Amino acid sequence: MPVLELREVTKVFPGVIANDKVSLVLEEREIVALLGENGAGKSTLMNIVYGLLSADQGEILVDGQPVKIRSSRQAIDLGIGMVHQHFMLVEPLTVTENIVLGREPGRLGIIDMKAARERVAEISERYGLRVDPDAKISELEVGLQQRVEILKALYQGARVLILDEPTAVLTPQEVRELFAVVRSLVDEGLSVVFITHKLEEVMAVADRIVVMRDGSVVGEVRPSETDEIGLARLMVGRDVVLRIDKEPSQCGDVVLEIRDLAVKSDQELDAVAGVSFTVCGGEIVAIAGVSGNGQTELVEALVGLRSPQSGSISLKGTDITHASARSSIEVGVSHIPEDRHRRGLVLPFNLAENLVLGDHRLKPYATRGVMHPREITAMAKKRIEDYDIRTPSEKVLASSLSGGNQQKVVVAREIGRNPELLVAAQPTRGLDVGAIEFVHRQILGERSAGKAVLLISLELEEVLSLADRVLVMYEGRIVKEFVAEEADAETLGYYMTGGGGTKLDDGADVSPTGSEVGA
Amino acid sequence: MSGSRDVVPARAWMSVVQKVGTPIMSTVLAIGVGSLIIWISGYDPVEAFAALFKGAFGGPRQIGETILRSTPLILAGLAVGYGFRAGLFNIGAEGQLMMGGLLAAWLGVELAGLTPLITIPTLLLVGALAGAAWAFVPAILKARIGAHEVITTMMFSHIARYVVSWLTAGPLKAPGQIPQTVNLSANAQIPRIQSLFSATTLEALPFFGLGRAHLGVFIAIIAAVGVWLVLRYTTLGYENRAVGLSPWAAETAGISVQWTTVKALCISGALAGLAGAVEVMGLHHRIFDQFSAGVGFTGIAVALLAKNHPIGIIAAALLFGALSAGSGTMQLEAGVSQKIILIIQALVIFFVAAEGIVNWFIRKRQKEATSGAE
Amino acid sequence: MLSDVITPDLFAAALRIATPLALAAIGGTICERSGIVNIALEGIMLIGAFFGTATVLATGSPWLGVIVAVLAGVAISAVHAVASVNLRTDQVVSGTAINLLALGLTGFLMELWYGHPGTTQPIPTLQPVFRIGAMGEGFLGEVWRWINGVFLSHTPIVYLAIIIAIGAQWALYHTRWGLRLRALGEHPRAVDTAGVSVARGRWVAVLMSGALGGLAGANLSIEQVGVFQEGFTNGRGYIALAANIFGRWTPIGSYLASLLFGFADALQIKLQPFRDVIDLPPEFFLMVPYVVTVVVLAGVIGRAVGPAQVGVPYEKG
Repeated sequence: MPVLELREVTKVFPGVIANDKVSLVLEEREIVALLGENGAGKSTLMNIVYGLLSADQGEILVDGQPVKIRSSRQAIDLGIGMVHQHFMLVEPLTVTENIVLGREPGRLGIIDMKAARERVAEISERYGLRVDPDAKISELEVGLQQRVEILKALYQGARVLILDEPTAVLTPQEVRELFAVVRSLVDEGLSVVFITHKLEEVMAVADRIVVMRDGSVVGEVRPSETDEIGLARLMVGRDVVLRIDKEPSQCGDVVLEIRDLAVKSDQELDAVAGVSFTVCGGEIVAIAGVSGNGQTELVEALVGLRSPQSGSISLKGTDITHASARSSIEVGVSHIPEDRHRRGLVLPFNLAENLVLGDHRLKPYATRGVMHPREITAMAKKRIEDYDIRTPSEKVLASSLSGGNQQKVVVAREIGRNPELLVAAQPTRGLDVGAIEFVHRQILGERSAGKAVLLISLELEEVLSLADRVLVMYEGRIVKEFVAEEADAETLGYYMTGGGGTKLDDGADVSPTGSEVGA
Repeated sequence: MSGSRDVVPARAWMSVVQKVGTPIMSTVLAIGVGSLIIWISGYDPVEAFAALFKGAFGGPRQIGETILRSTPLILAGLAVGYGFRAGLFNIGAEGQLMMGGLLAAWLGVELAGLTPLITIPTLLLVGALAGAAWAFVPAILKARIGAHEVITTMMFSHIARYVVSWLTAGPLKAPGQIPQTVNLSANAQIPRIQSLFSATTLEALPFFGLGRAHLGVFIAIIAAVGVWLVLRYTTLGYENRAVGLSPWAAETAGISVQWTTVKALCISGALAGLAGAVEVMGLHHRIFDQFSAGVGFTGIAVALLAKNHPIGIIAAALLFGALSAGSGTMQLEAGVSQKIILIIQALVIFFVAAEGIVNWFIRKRQKEATSGAE
Repeated sequence: MLSDVITPDLFAAALRIATPLALAAIGGTICERSGIVNIALEGIMLIGAFFGTATVLATGSPWLGVIVAVLAGVAISAVHAVASVNLRTDQVVSGTAINLLALGLTGFLMELWYGHPGTTQPIPTLQPVFRIGAMGEGFLGEVWRWINGVFLSHTPIVYLAIIIAIGAQWALYHTRWGLRLRALGEHPRAVDTAGVSVARGRWVAVLMSGALGGLAGANLSIEQVGVFQEGFTNGRGYIALAANIFGRWTPIGSYLASLLFGFADALQIKLQPFRDVIDLPPEFFLMVPYVVTVVVLAGVIGRAVGPAQVGVPYEKG
């Protein structure tokens, strides 16, 4: 008897059918991978199982019994646990406090912390998930935080564990550790649903693969019966090019030069600790690294959102070390921000207002503080056309567009400005395949136009396919440089996690200019 | 679970209904609940509101009183609304208003000999600057260290109250028993509307006998149009709105959030100060303890009801001006305390803010239209 | 002059004046820890004070007045809870509406019930708990005079406030309620996915802050002033919020911060008779609490960081 079974589950959001009669079976001690693009409906489905959303139609069975799951409390009581993509951990609280939250041991409302700690220690011993029970979440690395999430589910008595995009934040090494953990959980009697959009992962870990597209299940296979190309076709519905072909780099003059840059984080830590590199025209340089190793601060310093402690940044020979965001835009730095909802767009502004953002003081859009709506509308119409933004008009609010179209607005604005340097931070995160292809084409277009591009990405696939040179960043330093053709995911991952032993001296292993690359 | 949210063109009438629907329904609901309170208290709500209406619109003099009360409310509403558009809650507009009135009252006496063409613009400007200055410290504290403007402007409002009562009882006190300042001379007063017409004209056209209403209302309307133009057609207004809606995106686009905050709160203070100056120059012609009479706080209700739209603020101010003008007659003829007006104001704020209550059926209708469009 | 100012009275007054601020501030702490801003404390205090006074006027029982004040605080805060938890209204705006409503409602009822605006008839107040006279002589007598004057001269709610501060602090870090409360304001979704209702947790917190605000109002009217006067909370609700921030969102911190405000206020009252020495108009003394609040906000606490999700409505799913 399957531990979990979904029968024809349907969920409709206003205007979208998120799940269309989805059926799924999970046997005991089985790892089922739920594979699909962003927006395919995987997370919606699992949120229904976990009681965060309610299905409009369909049936859920646990151990063969039909159940109604209206809250996470009920899901937990039924033995369903979920590790969310964005961790459900309270940062200022300790590991133990987070794990016992909602099921605190004790009497009369008073928590028995000693019992709680023992219980946590016992579970972490049993499953080999070691973590300091008294550490605050904010002090832990991402991999350990994920471990706490798994412990939390186990503490709550989960027999079915749902992992929602668990590898998105992990390095290849951590991913392998996670896979080992998942297998040992299955050995202990658990069943796992593994949500992902990464092909190589499902091949490595799953017993069975269920592929979703546009809210429906489009296929079900075993890893032995298929390969990545076949899965990709199933997932996207057409052939996909997994590698991008690009011309060899035509490296021009040095556009960006960074010397001994040091930047402090919000917590006054040395987030960037002496970084030097250059990017020249017609070149894409990628910064690879695990999230939180100083990339965000580096980008912020570069685009004028954060003032460096020391070192210098120059653009075509002009010093912009302490330039404001405003003057940084004016000298030709464009920026596709990591968080487009927060930093890339003013969501309640319409498209025209968003497309002029940053250029709104400049001619022809404004003179002496007075804006010219006609010019702005004309520009907006042109950009919507040029960048294929799907919208009825430029007066539509940015918040009403899909994620892919929103990112097109940001890209249209930043590239349309015709910058010297494009800083693209995680430009494709959360986008569907079509939009990813579009963004990649635009970035490559900048390269062929002789512009300098600095790409910051956590997706090694993206780094390897776009970049001419790859710099690996670890703990605020650049620990390794590769010419893209010589790098592979495993080696990058090795350096991203502090492999390679000693930290390299700044610049020792990093070529001062990229001029030899691709020559 | 994001999925693509398709754009469904809302039906035109619905967007209009949605814009003015909530405010109108909120007002109706608030007056409804107000009536209920009146009824529970043992009075007749119909009689009460009939008296109120008579007091607000019963004749030219009453209409004049409504205009009179609306005048500072337009400016105070603009003050609060402009702050809201930058994401700032200038709850202490009352204090800035007092300082604007104070400076106008003081300087107006000093400038006794000059022509009104110089005096009146000067006093208006000085009043606005005084209001801006009173908002400046909270603005800097907000921009530099993030001290919440709700607490700081409120504290400054209390401080302003004591400054006014100190000066009216002490250094600026006019001779006599009452703690108030010397009357402004005629050259510093904003003329009444009816003073523009000769006695014979007024006899022929009694409609222009608007009593105490003064030309300040035109200053207020010009200010409203000005604020509307600024918000719509200038980089100042654009940046103000961008910071209000998304400070992070604004910062990324090279807009200084701190500087925009300072500008917004000071402009807000200037509008409040202008309200104070107009009130003193047009109505009181002097200041005394608590001359501001809560206009700054009513400005919050005005701004919220108008959803911070400058032109809507004129309409909302007229509503509250009428309530205020009619409340005297209501108390006199129906015996209902004027305090009911405060309650209705609070309810209006509440219902506008809790759009959920009022708007649910509009949204439901829209949802039906949306699913029908597929 | 110094010996006339630095007396047991001064410190006793500081404790007394701190009490309503501290109660409201702890209410603010609990509320903000759950993720809800409660700017309505000003109005809650006013409502509590009014209904408390009205009860005493009707029944002659101060204790009954206190109970009704607390209940009235809970009732009006329920409006804030509906608005901010269920309707996901802007919490600052909803609080402002309640403050205005409190001002209007108390004024309206004042005229309806007592026939005039302004101030009610005096009411019998709660008396000091201990009444112990002078003891001992010389140095020991002086020590006793201080202990008795500063600590043993107070009315019940003053002591209750201290007990509440300590109790709430302990509960925040040792009970199930406290753990969930701390998590609520930081990461409500984490609480939700752990199977605990966010709405319920926030409702309870808002109602508790209403009870504390009502108690603060009772202290003001039934212990301190002995009447109800329109608008006599005079910005205390806002000062209490500043005290909560200054106390870094902890009950004991809130209490101590309130004590600082109380001391500043007590000092200015003590100094008023010496106006011929310090040549300042009385209004300058009255400004002290407000100026101190701004200075404190400006100085120390700009960098204080509150709960991450405070003020953000929680939407399920």
